[in-house]
Amino acid sequence: MPAQQSKTVAWSCLLAGVALTAALFGCSSTTPGGDTTTLRIGAIPDQNPEKLNRLYDTLSDELSDQLDVPVKYVPVSNYAAAVTAFRSGSLDLVWFGGLTGVQARLQTPGSQVLAQRDIDAEFTSVFIANGASGLKPITSSDQLVQLKGKRFAFGSESSTSGRLMPQYFMKQNGISPDDFAGGRPGFSGSHDATIAVVQSGAYEAGALNSQVWDSHVEDGRIDPEKVSEIWRTPTYADYHWVAAAKLDQRFGEGFTNRLQEALIGIEPDTERRRTILDLFGAEAFIPAADGDYVAIEAVGRELGKIR
Amino acid sequence: MPVLELLQAGLAGRLQPINLRISNGDRIVLLGRSGAGKSSLISLCNGALQPDQGRLLWQGQPFLQRSRRQRCELGTLWQDLRLVEELTAIQNIQAGALGRHDLLWAVRNLLGLLDPAPCMQAVNAVGLEPDLLNKPVLNLSGGQRQRVALARLLHQMPQLVLADEPLSALDPVLADDVLATLLQAPACLISLHRPELMHRFNRVLGLRQGKLVLNKHPDAVTESDLKWLYSES
Amino acid sequence: MPLLPGLLLLPVLLRLSLDLHSGGLNLVLQFWQAALQPSLNPLLLRSLLNAVSTTLLMAVLSWLISTGAGFILGLLCSRRVAALFGGSGWMSTWLRHLLAPFRAIHELVWGLLFLQLFGLNGWVAVLAISLPYSALMARVLADQIDNRSSSAVQALKSGGATAASTLFTAVLPETAGGLLSHSGHRLDCAVRSAVLLGVFGLGGIGTDLALSLQSLRFHEVWSGLWVLAMLMFVLDRLRRRPQLLAVVAVLSLASATSQLDLSFPQVTSPLLNMSGEQLLGALQETPWAELIGGTLLVTVAAATIAVGLPPLMLLLTLQRRSLRQLLWALMRLIPVPLTALLLLFVFQPSPVLAAVALGLHHSGVMGRVMEDDLDECSSLQAEALLQLGAGQRSAVLYGRLGPISRPYLAYGLVRLDVILRDTAVVGMVGGAGLGWQLIDALGSFHWALVLLLLLAYAALTISGEVVSGWMQTTWGCKAVEA
Repeated sequence: MPAQQSKTVAWSCLLAGVALTAALFGCSSTTPGGDTTTLRIGAIPDQNPEKLNRLYDTLSDELSDQLDVPVKYVPVSNYAAAVTAFRSGSLDLVWFGGLTGVQARLQTPGSQVLAQRDIDAEFTSVFIANGASGLKPITSSDQLVQLKGKRFAFGSESSTSGRLMPQYFMKQNGISPDDFAGGRPGFSGSHDATIAVVQSGAYEAGALNSQVWDSHVEDGRIDPEKVSEIWRTPTYADYHWVAAAKLDQRFGEGFTNRLQEALIGIEPDTERRRTILDLFGAEAFIPAADGDYVAIEAVGRELGKIR
Repeated sequence: MPVLELLQAGLAGRLQPINLRISNGDRIVLLGRSGAGKSSLISLCNGALQPDQGRLLWQGQPFLQRSRRQRCELGTLWQDLRLVEELTAIQNIQAGALGRHDLLWAVRNLLGLLDPAPCMQAVNAVGLEPDLLNKPVLNLSGGQRQRVALARLLHQMPQLVLADEPLSALDPVLADDVLATLLQAPACLISLHRPELMHRFNRVLGLRQGKLVLNKHPDAVTESDLKWLYSES
Repeated sequence: MPLLPGLLLLPVLLRLSLDLHSGGLNLVLQFWQAALQPSLNPLLLRSLLNAVSTTLLMAVLSWLISTGAGFILGLLCSRRVAALFGGSGWMSTWLRHLLAPFRAIHELVWGLLFLQLFGLNGWVAVLAISLPYSALMARVLADQIDNRSSSAVQALKSGGATAASTLFTAVLPETAGGLLSHSGHRLDCAVRSAVLLGVFGLGGIGTDLALSLQSLRFHEVWSGLWVLAMLMFVLDRLRRRPQLLAVVAVLSLASATSQLDLSFPQVTSPLLNMSGEQLLGALQETPWAELIGGTLLVTVAAATIAVGLPPLMLLLTLQRRSLRQLLWALMRLIPVPLTALLLLFVFQPSPVLAAVALGLHHSGVMGRVMEDDLDECSSLQAEALLQLGAGQRSAVLYGRLGPISRPYLAYGLVRLDVILRDTAVVGMVGGAGLGWQLIDALGSFHWALVLLLLLAYAALTISGEVVSGWMQTTWGCKAVEA
């Protein structure tokens, strides 16, 4: 057998070498950075993948018809990855959260905010608590101090509504992350998971995107005995579309403006457009500008998420 | 011209300086007690050990400056055989000719792509059954491995064969075969524990306490020579 | 002796029972029920198949690259090969040291780092896995060559063979067997690494699994897990059939370009504009002692669980070998972050929980090692003990576990630094430490801190390696690297 093995090893090496070379040649023939005539759109992954695919494939079709250019949805699976992909030019138009959008724009000179949803201008987070935690509904923000010493869960570490703004409002009321039980908060990874870990009792309280919370409540997926809302934050600007620089050069004069108009022009008048708005959980897209996110940038800097 | 020449070559503590000439047609047996320095002398001759003093000449040139071609002309039958266990018998036998070939040939041997014909003469000479050729050496018996090692040596086609106790672990029939094969080489230097076989050689060397004390034709070796050679100090 | 680590399970169980809460029990139940009713939505299945082929492609490509590169580097690292070519060996020793940091840093960390450097590109994951794997392969190969002392080398050289010919005729064949089984094992590892990278956002089935689990869609999670299980099963069958494995490799490579963006990556390097001032600031603002202490604690606890569980299960289940193998396969199948999240549904977060999540996953690996060892080791001793009248359990303990305990524990030590690297992935359950800090720093694009954390990781792993090397010599046993 060993002699057979040495033969096999040699043959496999040979085959592998040939295959590898072939693959490398095959790859090097594709142009670096991908196709420049296709508009590549992306989004931070804050939903389940099946929904993301449905949502952005539909949107790609809509935009492609409106703008008369090929549009391709490139799935990204991590908040920071979306920022990096945008910076490195792998994505042209990205649906960012508040914080990631600011991070992306700061790292990518020339990029600009195009639009947000109607609900994004006045977005909120909710604080939720487990029924057995003894936490009471909060009427004014200074009562947040009762969270001290509790087990507390955020969502994803780069989430605006699931981490940044809740942490900011707590900080304003004198609570820092090391005041929680165990000396630090937990990170569940997503808004859905935050509800699950608070409802289960693993964590006594948590904070998340109010849109996700509301849809859970509407769908009756919340057991009010086990978990309930205790506070809703003041409003801030969140999710938004950011477009890369130099789109006009690639797709023709005024393309960025047409893109903005196409987004804003999505109204519930066709089946497809209704689906898009429905999946985004919005009535309409509205224009937005870089200036709308100055406050988020300041918070990001204060909490060390922007440097 | 002698094939191998030792000029005052010695190993500190093991072998006192020795002068020795081995020419074509020499069939030399090396006798002596265990520890007398037989293995050291063989190792000195095949380059496994470097002399502390004196020097070696191969065909009149310094030993260390031999060309690859010349290194190929010196063959050794190692006591522990030194086969590549994982390779087949035929691959091992082919490896005897590595000195005459390049890297590509070695790779082809590894892949089993070589024509076995050139080594069939050696295979037949040692009486190895053809169906064993494609078995890994690992799976062969002691006697079969001995024959593989011998075939590798023959396939190397050396001018001078060195062997250190080649018969010690063999049954009488095999021992006779091996000795007969080794004696067919143009020249040989073989260490043995069996003085009664010395008449099959044409020269006897005797080592005692690291010193060369006997260098005669076997017919000239007397009983008392042997007695003294094998006596306690 | 292999049961000693098992003793630590007691305090762990105690702590866990204190932290137990029934709140998420129904979620856990739902999770396991979903195992039998995976979602069969054709759209989902198609996307899963796509994702799994992406994962396989990443794994195969990085496996091929790391095997090739590791092979060449391994030869360069070997003192025996250096001696064969007439070198003195100091170059190979240095090269070996030079490669250590590449091994020391987890493929996940490389992945997140390259993601920042290259953006979204198929090479990110491939390179991230290849880098530590090549270095590991190089070490394994060099060790295997250097630990053998075949005398055939001298025989061939004195017969006039060149150094290169001797390498191919004597040195390679004797290491081929071990190398082959090791590289087969590495493919299995590469698949698991590719899945893990996916969990952290580098694409493939891991991404789908993570997103489905985070939105608590257990039926979809299980569709993914079953697809993954099938892949791992097939690869495990192929492990002993290298020819077929090569065919699979070629086929999956043939489909390469359509699945992954493998265009040449453009470097966008924010790492370059970093000032000394930032470094100093990062150095001061971070509680290093606490981070490192926490990381070590979780590592050691997880390692004892991973090492202690398999022998314990052996004593509990005795002859039911297939049951145990199913268990080990399941442990390996579920990526650590998923285990962690599942545990969170029923336990309160704590470093112990993080250790349990890690320990369970690695006990799957250790379990397989134990079963392999048991298979190779004869059961004669145990039978002899049984005939002497020993009880079933003590016969197994002394007759079967006894003989394998040394190599098994030695392998456990090697596992220690794998676990150390893996602590990066359990941030969410309270196992904070270096790993979690690193992920947060990457999310904040805080490059100075990222650099410092990477250095800390490398230093920890290298010192861990020194310690485990020292312990292995003290115990007089060398780990059979796998």
